[in-house]
Amino acid sequence: MRRNTIVLGAVLFLLAVFAWAGWANWEYRQQAAERLLANAAKGELVADAATGAPVYVSPLQGRMAPAFALNDLSGIKVPLSTYRGKALLINFWATWCAPCKIETPWIIELRNKYASQGFEVLGIDTEGDDLKPDDKVGWAKAQQAASNFVAQEKIPYPVLLDGDSIATPYGGLDELPTSFFVDRKGNVVAAQLGLTSESDLEAKIKKALGQ
Amino acid sequence: MRSVIKTIVRTAAVFAAATLFSQAQFVDSGAPGQAGPKSQAVVYLFPEQVTVRAGKPASVDLHFRVAPGLHINSHTPSDQFLIATTFSIPGNDGVALAAASYPAGQQISLASDPTTKLNVYTGDFVIHAQLVSPAGNHLAQGKLHYQACDRNQCMPPKTITVPIDVVAQ
Repeated sequence: MRRNTIVLGAVLFLLAVFAWAGWANWEYRQQAAERLLANAAKGELVADAATGAPVYVSPLQGRMAPAFALNDLSGIKVPLSTYRGKALLINFWATWCAPCKIETPWIIELRNKYASQGFEVLGIDTEGDDLKPDDKVGWAKAQQAASNFVAQEKIPYPVLLDGDSIATPYGGLDELPTSFFVDRKGNVVAAQLGLTSESDLEAKIKKALGQ
Repeated sequence: MRSVIKTIVRTAAVFAAATLFSQAQFVDSGAPGQAGPKSQAVVYLFPEQVTVRAGKPASVDLHFRVAPGLHINSHTPSDQFLIATTFSIPGNDGVALAAASYPAGQQISLASDPTTKLNVYTGDFVIHAQLVSPAGNHLAQGKLHYQACDRNQCMPPKTITVPIDVVAQ
């Protein structure tokens, strides 16, 4: 009887190990797949053929902008498809990002300049990179910070939350600001990593508008 | 009955061994270069071990280094939205942080906007910590929270562990 109990215990232990190993394998494969996807979409800085200056090139260029649906500051889910037919600047930013703050007035000015031609900006806040999904206080604080930033900078375009949830298809978003310029058909025509200049942004907006 | 149990045990053992082996293979196959770019903007330098008087506040200088070309916000950043560099020792058992004093930051501005001043740490910096520890040997797991940028772009906020072996006598 005692021997049978020991054997049964050993069987259960081995089965538990088997289950754990299976779960760990599954989780590892999930992470590896995400890394692979992010790396496949990750851009790189290359030297411009004419000037030699570093230019950000994204593998997303020439492809459809990856679809998403994120909540805006009032909690309404906004799908990217809402803006099909418009030229778009998808601007990933965060309140703690000083270069993002510097380029915000440029983006507002350019948005107002080209809005009548069918141009719109989607600001996507990526505030909570180090927040755990169940950290309700942290997320509420992050959303409040985004709201305060939008109010202070008088941002007139839609601002969506939780950019981190779509980081993988957009190349990981390891640095901010990161921007993607999308034409009226939904194709990415240009990308930008880091702060450049207002004239550089304008040139890419014109490209998205087909000018 | 016994033979059935033996067969089950053998089968389970073979499956478990095979699964563990394949798990080890998966872990080993992880590409080391895919951890993420510029992931270590700040490193903790020293001390690894300190000896203090038990129950009494002891001054300890914690030395850190910011990677070349990067800066992190100081403890008193110039803008309410920027993330201050902060040292803490979480948990109520063992070593406690009674106080911390931070160095003054360096004023810099970005080329694209010379009017905006940032208060940052670059290179090496030291945080003066006051530690209180009960008698005995303790491995304090301090945390340094910071947010790093270069001249044009920023990386997400990060928290690194600062391990300090505290010997309290």
